[in-house]
Amino acid sequence: MGKGIPGLDQAYHVLFTVVLVILAVMIILCLIRAIIGPRIADRIVATNMMGTIVMVIIATLAIMLKEGYLVDICIIYAMISFLAVIVLTKVYMGVYREKKEEEGDGSH
Amino acid sequence: MEVIEWIRFLSGALFLLCGLLIFLIEMVGVFRFKYVLNRMHAAAMGDTLGIASSLIGLMIISGWNFTSLKLFCIIVFLWFSSPTSSHLIARLEVATDENRNEHYKTINLDERAKENRESEEGRKEEADRESEEGRKEEADRESEVRRKKEESRENTEGRKSDGRRENASRGNGKADRADGK
Repeated sequence: MGKGIPGLDQAYHVLFTVVLVILAVMIILCLIRAIIGPRIADRIVATNMMGTIVMVIIATLAIMLKEGYLVDICIIYAMISFLAVIVLTKVYMGVYREKKEEEGDGSH
Repeated sequence: MEVIEWIRFLSGALFLLCGLLIFLIEMVGVFRFKYVLNRMHAAAMGDTLGIASSLIGLMIISGWNFTSLKLFCIIVFLWFSSPTSSHLIARLEVATDENRNEHYKTINLDERAKENRESEEGRKEEADRESEEGRKEEADRESEVRRKKEESRENTEGRKSDGRRENASRGNGKADRADGK
């Protein structure tokens, strides 16, 4: 990056700033999708997308600030986001089954 | 040296902006599709191609060091985890959708194959039956000619025997069909 070449440092700065702003706008759009999503799967998909975009933001910040350790946080974020999807699907499946069983008991 | 640095900046920026474009397409798809399973199709694109393109751009900018290796690890991990999570979400959606017939049609492939086999056999049977019926019609015509002759001979008794003969011929037809099956 940069290496004292005139103009290049500034170009990198402009590029990263533009990318970060666009990604921030996209995260807000994802949040809107998660709020209006009519079904639970919609919200989980939107959350997953938000996780992906946050990962790109963290990686961009790591390169922009020249702090290599931020990429480790990015890896951990990816793992936790994957785990969140698995747990959410399992939990909602269990909740749905319980509701079904209760309804079945009520009708018989 | 200066030129190489500029080329690196330009190629990195190109990859990064490609990734952003793919995220943008993903966002458009997620907002325009009408149903979750369609939206997932758009959302999976950003998880794999979008993040891969952006992180490859960042790897080019970062250069040949451990940060690039970690970024590569993220890409590989996402390429494994994204299909798994998509599968889980799709299964959740299909299992919990109460009025699924409004959104999509389910096809049981085993039953479909059985129906196809039966319809083919049925077509063969129909062809056999048609040829048999053709033969039967000829026989009916001959018997009618014979009946008319008999009617001309004896008026009152002929009708009774007619009824009997018709019943008998119908019974024969049924027997033929049963044999055909």
